[in-house]
Amino acid sequence: MSRGRSFSYWLLILTLVVLYFFLHLALGFGTAVPDLLTVALLLAARQVRAGAAAAMGFVLGLLRDSLSLVAFGADTITLTLLGYLGSRSRDFFVGDSLLFVAIYLTVGKLLHDAIYTLIGGSALGDGMLRFVSQLPFVFYASAAGLTALLLYRFLVRAR
Amino acid sequence: MDYFDGARKGKRRDVAVGAGLLLVGIFLFFLPASYQAPVRQAVRGTALRPFIALQTGMVARRARSLDLQTLRAERDSLAAIVAAQLTLHEENQRLRALLGLRARAEPGFRPAQVIRLGTAGSESSFLIDIGSEDGVVVGSPVLAADGLLGLVWEVDRHSAHVIDWSHPDFRASAMSADGAVYGLVEPRRGSFREEDLLAMTGAPFHSDIKPGTRLVTTGRGTIYARGIPLGVVVGVEEVDTGWRKSYLVRPAARPEAAMHVLVGVRKDLGGEGDLTPLWPVGSPEDTLAGAASSDTSGGLQR
Repeated sequence: MSRGRSFSYWLLILTLVVLYFFLHLALGFGTAVPDLLTVALLLAARQVRAGAAAAMGFVLGLLRDSLSLVAFGADTITLTLLGYLGSRSRDFFVGDSLLFVAIYLTVGKLLHDAIYTLIGGSALGDGMLRFVSQLPFVFYASAAGLTALLLYRFLVRAR
Repeated sequence: MDYFDGARKGKRRDVAVGAGLLLVGIFLFFLPASYQAPVRQAVRGTALRPFIALQTGMVARRARSLDLQTLRAERDSLAAIVAAQLTLHEENQRLRALLGLRARAEPGFRPAQVIRLGTAGSESSFLIDIGSEDGVVVGSPVLAADGLLGLVWEVDRHSAHVIDWSHPDFRASAMSADGAVYGLVEPRRGSFREEDLLAMTGAPFHSDIKPGTRLVTTGRGTIYARGIPLGVVVGVEEVDTGWRKSYLVRPAARPEAAMHVLVGVRKDLGGEGDLTPLWPVGSPEDTLAGAASSDTSGGLQR
């Protein structure tokens, strides 16, 4: 990744994070907004070392947990773990194609929901039902991430 | 060789950093709620403050664009009621003075706008746009037009985090509208959030509350004033033979419907303030028909 592209890529990550909180907090769109925070972490994790990815996950998780009265800390743990695993996934899978990114985002988001439900399950009520009812949102988040990446690639190429 | 040594060291460092952060996360998760609150408040008051401030502004703008006609009609109704009750109020004060009773503590309420969070883990809670500078304290009751909605859990300077009645930690001392049966109200999670109900536990075994009976707060304790509607009994939930009964209650106020709330800003409400006159009772027996009529009458008397 060249220096110029690297900067624009991080701008994309930052935009996804800001957009997530803007749509949730500023506009109050609730569940209509895809989980762009997890998508941002998953996309960023492939670009940095595992320690840095875990740190990023920790910070993003803490940001989201600051709004949680039910399971504070659950998302911090989940995103730290996810950041680490996302970065380590480079050791096993190399790829940049859209199909690969789509599968990577879907599996990553699915893993996030599974770990989060497992950790915060008792506090969140019926964990299994919650997990199953959230399944469509996995594909929604992955599609949103893919769209953002496509848009980014289009803009970078156009420049 | 050096390259492999460096890579191995780097990976070991990554594992150490990841494990350390994970441990901190686990530590935060198991922290007592009272220690978690300052961490939450610090993050909300710094990194997320611009977003929360932005929503406060947007909600205020949305509220200002409400139908003027409706507002004018409500204002006229209020003026008529206040004028009609003025003599009653004076008479009440005069009689209390004659009997040597001290003045009743007037409930102090502040209107606030609801700010929805909509993030994972923020279920059963919402933010309001007033905080400690407006007199809001931890434990301040939060009321919607139809009854009790929740209570303030954490307070910042200009905002407060509120739990609604569906939060696992919500409790309220309750009684039937006629004051015959007392108990404690707590949430019951449904399969879906729309199915969440309340349950009145600890009612005496011999009690028989008919479906449709309205439950209100007792005013015991220091949180809720007396007479705030909690909901309507829909049936018996559990009978602990010879000991106690618990009843399922359909809550009076739905959190998802609330856009504006009233927040109690005085600590001396519990036991002293009586808000019963604010909500009309449908019929003397407060039966199903009565409850239905009060539902359609629009809840809080304006």
